Amino acid sequence: MQVHRGGTCGVPFQRRTFLKGAAGLVGVTIMGVPTRGRAEAPLSAPAGGRSTPGVATMRIDGRAKVTGQKIFARDFNARDMPGWQATQWYGFYLCALTTEHVFLGLDLSSLPDRVKPARIILGDQLSAAVRKPKLRRWRDPLVERRVRDLQAAAMQAPAGAGFDNPLSGEPDLIVPRGNVPDFLGQAVALLMFDSIARYRAAKRFMQFRDAEFQIYALDSAAAKGMNAPFPPTTTYVKYFQGGETFSYATANNYKDEINNYKDRIATFLSGHKEFLTQEFDVSRIAMDPMFMEPEAGLAWHEAALGTLHLVLGTQSPDGDASNIKSMFDAADSPVRLKEIRLTSCYPGGGFGGRDSSPFSLLLALAAAFSDGHPVKVAYDRFEQFRVGLKRPAAALQGALVCAPDMKLQLVRMTINLDGGGLKNLSPYVASLASLCAGGSYEFPMANVFAQSVHTRNIPGGSQRGFGGPEAFLAVETALDDLAAAQKWDPIAMRRANLATAASLTVVGGPIAQDLQLAEMLDRVEAHPLWAQRDQIKSSYPARGLVYGTGIAMSLQAYGTSGDGMVAAVLIGPEGRLTVQSDAVDMGNGSATTLGVVIGGSLGANADQVDMGCSTLFGQTRLEESTDYIPHWKDRPFWTAKGVGSSSACLTGLHQVHTVQQTATALMAGAVLPAARIVWKRPDLQLADVEWVDGSLRERGGAGRASSRAELAKAIYDAGLPRGALGHAYFQSKWVEGDFETPGGTRRLSLDGLAFYGHGQDKPNPNPVPRQNTFAPDADVWRYSRFVWAPCVNVVGLTVDTTTGRVQIENVLSVLNAGRVYVPELVSGQSQGGVAMAIGYTLFEDMPVGMAGPANGRWNLDKYHVPRAEDLPLSASYAPGRRAQELIVMPETPGDNAEGRGIAEAVMCSVAPAISNAIRDAVGRRFASLPITPAKVLQGLAQP
Amino acid sequence: MIAFIVNGLPHEVDESRGDERLIDFLHDELNLTGTKFCCGVGICRACTVAASRPPNGAATPIVSCSTALSSVDGVSIVTIEGVSEGGALLPVQQAFLRHFAFQCGYCAPGFVMAAKIFLDGLAAAPVAREELDQAIQQAIGSHICRCTGYVRYYEALREVAEAVLDKKG
Repeated sequence: MQVHRGGTCGVPFQRRTFLKGAAGLVGVTIMGVPTRGRAEAPLSAPAGGRSTPGVATMRIDGRAKVTGQKIFARDFNARDMPGWQATQWYGFYLCALTTEHVFLGLDLSSLPDRVKPARIILGDQLSAAVRKPKLRRWRDPLVERRVRDLQAAAMQAPAGAGFDNPLSGEPDLIVPRGNVPDFLGQAVALLMFDSIARYRAAKRFMQFRDAEFQIYALDSAAAKGMNAPFPPTTTYVKYFQGGETFSYATANNYKDEINNYKDRIATFLSGHKEFLTQEFDVSRIAMDPMFMEPEAGLAWHEAALGTLHLVLGTQSPDGDASNIKSMFDAADSPVRLKEIRLTSCYPGGGFGGRDSSPFSLLLALAAAFSDGHPVKVAYDRFEQFRVGLKRPAAALQGALVCAPDMKLQLVRMTINLDGGGLKNLSPYVASLASLCAGGSYEFPMANVFAQSVHTRNIPGGSQRGFGGPEAFLAVETALDDLAAAQKWDPIAMRRANLATAASLTVVGGPIAQDLQLAEMLDRVEAHPLWAQRDQIKSSYPARGLVYGTGIAMSLQAYGTSGDGMVAAVLIGPEGRLTVQSDAVDMGNGSATTLGVVIGGSLGANADQVDMGCSTLFGQTRLEESTDYIPHWKDRPFWTAKGVGSSSACLTGLHQVHTVQQTATALMAGAVLPAARIVWKRPDLQLADVEWVDGSLRERGGAGRASSRAELAKAIYDAGLPRGALGHAYFQSKWVEGDFETPGGTRRLSLDGLAFYGHGQDKPNPNPVPRQNTFAPDADVWRYSRFVWAPCVNVVGLTVDTTTGRVQIENVLSVLNAGRVYVPELVSGQSQGGVAMAIGYTLFEDMPVGMAGPANGRWNLDKYHVPRAEDLPLSASYAPGRRAQELIVMPETPGDNAEGRGIAEAVMCSVAPAISNAIRDAVGRRFASLPITPAKVLQGLAQP
Repeated sequence: MIAFIVNGLPHEVDESRGDERLIDFLHDELNLTGTKFCCGVGICRACTVAASRPPNGAATPIVSCSTALSSVDGVSIVTIEGVSEGGALLPVQQAFLRHFAFQCGYCAPGFVMAAKIFLDGLAAAPVAREELDQAIQQAIGSHICRCTGYVRYYEALREVAEAVLDKKG
């Protein structure tokens, strides 16, 4: 089986979508990596050679990875790219050393000739449009609506009424001479080299010597906008008392009444002196995702054709292409663009750090200055630490208020994120953190404020959990402190307040899902790690260690306030099945999952899976508008959102659904009519047939059976569709519609459908109008999120009170994953999430400012990510053995036969479980991550 | 001249290039990009290749990002591209696949190389079963993986190692 990145459908074509700009239409083509006729392992190959539909016995991309084949962007050079000019240039950026002095320029006079660059590009040499590109953010309608409202308000404000830099654009890609850098690590120059020898020699010569080559004014100065929040901020006030209701999701005049209801909350509390208040003050430093492949890529501007070629491993290929087009859109652009051809590679890890990363712009910029040669930009690890997107540092203060009967009354929380120097996605992270402030519980009242603040630090953005881990750290440690203070059982306390399907979040939106939270706690209570925790604890003092057990829950909300997905399913002339998705597999295994989920519809797993196919949406011919006015009923070719960035948590529900519905469309529109022809049964319906051992036959065993190859021949002979292209939109519910197919009218949970015909040089599917549309209510976006991936974590650990060292002995994770398609991938995400959380809770430490990675001297000698010895490695608990055990709750009817997006779920509550376990062990709360040995010793030394 | 072998083929570079890194030579001149660059300072071990000095033949793992060409004079290097003959996968590669041991896969070649060296050594000099976990920890315990938490890597390698010991009786 072949693996392609945005592949070819077996037909030489160019998948295109068009981006409209001032310079006209610019075509964008997303390509697969150049394959070399490698034979790939089948998706599943049990003994006997026939794969089991719906079952994966190995990763679809596994063979390529385990044999070291070229699949990552970093692997490629121009010589590997078909049709590219072979002579390659190289570029690297010099980074700002201060935000408190004007940058005056470079002094490279000390460079020996052998390391001098062929070209130097400074910020003031760039046109404004290139230096400060307008970036499109089309990520979460709820947040973008707020930005739109702020912009509208700003336009109506009196002149000079306020400083609007955070609304008006991005910092310079390269700091112009005469300006103060906006953040540490911001580029101050691009150095270009025409030979690899000179490039490598220059990097070696210049490394760790930045101050010798950059000139700054002596006088102090300040960058603009420092410490201002990146818009929008988020405020959720909820008041549900005595029949009176107020919340973001339900109030007609929410903004105007916020302060009134804050007063109402205060008044209510003042009438209840018996209530208990548990204050909290938790914090965490920024975290580096430390994905294993430092960002790298190739770019080549083929001037004669106006084509920009890119090779990139990114989580947001369509967004990157759009922003690059925007950068080169003005009349004075250094390059003329008619087309962007993006080869979308498998990223070597992402975790959010490659989502909307500035790297793609910096790579594209280099292509404008390489004299028409391809150029490679490849960060080393020092550079990646220096400029790569971080998990923003966070500080959370507030309180939980609880009645004496354990019933929670109020969550009050202020969340401050250090967004660093670029807005990126940190306001979106703050927004989701606000929702997650309610944890796994029903709160009748809430007062939550969150913001991401512009600072001089390395920019922060999307990271695994997207704000959830921060909020759960605050809520779960506060709950634990409250339970301990009141001598309540920590599980009993949680049970008394669990959210249910009938609950409303702090936003006021419904949970409306079968969470199984109580059942998950049942599993925890029955497990020996919890049930025997006192007995386990008693065995450690003899070894000079103290032991503690901690529990924490999380209710991670995945997706956004409106998600669009696209997929194609194709059948070749001999029955070979191909699945195509716009999503990027960053290691989470979405390619493997999407390959097996068609097994139920089409009787076999996919022979080929193409990921990163970002031109699919353009082929749907669906119109997408950003005015937030729904046109579901009056426009049969309209959707509220095309596609978004790839998050690992979007596989289990969103991407799977879209692929499965599209496979059903192909079944209905091509396979069924083919069977009617072959069997001479014009009355045949989908309910009459089933797949058995790879053949389609009539239910009940009577009648003919046909292989997929026979049916495919009939499809091609009759000119029936050779593929289906489906688009789906989810916003609490899937949009549905009736679609006419060659097999009859079919109702599908899609909002767009097209069929691929035959004899086309380029794929040009025929769109089918959507009829009798069912769409979500127009205001459900106000709920913020609609789907949840609950998890409970129990951690058992030891503390060495002489060294302060904490060792994780055991982890138990109980996860509600809904329908599980590939169990190995679910457990892999769990194990990876546990490891990452242990890392940032105990080990990963870096100061801000020039004492940290911004100084260009940080690598893995300073930033300690967990190694095997830091983690429990057995997969099931047994006394005396370090293990991490995962219990996946069985699927229930309430799951509607759908999976949940779990890539973040297990990780989210590990940190508070660790903090709670340490408190259980030593009787002290450590609420500032990372909990280093030094902090432990310092805490123990206090009275 | 500095003379060495890579995947069975001889190479020579001028001594003036002795300070250059082995990984850069593999990537730039031989287009062997299966050996992955990650930290560049010899810590993560993603860039592990096998090195042996003929005629002894016993391979040791070296980190190619921190190995100067001058130190591989007379050495035979095997990279991930050179471990399997005719496209057949090693037992440990098959085990990594079967166990879904890796995720993004960037660290996988380094793990394969270290595991192969360990298993070849185990076959030549078996250890007692009760020492196997410690031996595995020594072989791959310094390798960094950000995606997986290592559980499945260890499961897979243990399975293959036990099969080696079984074969040795």
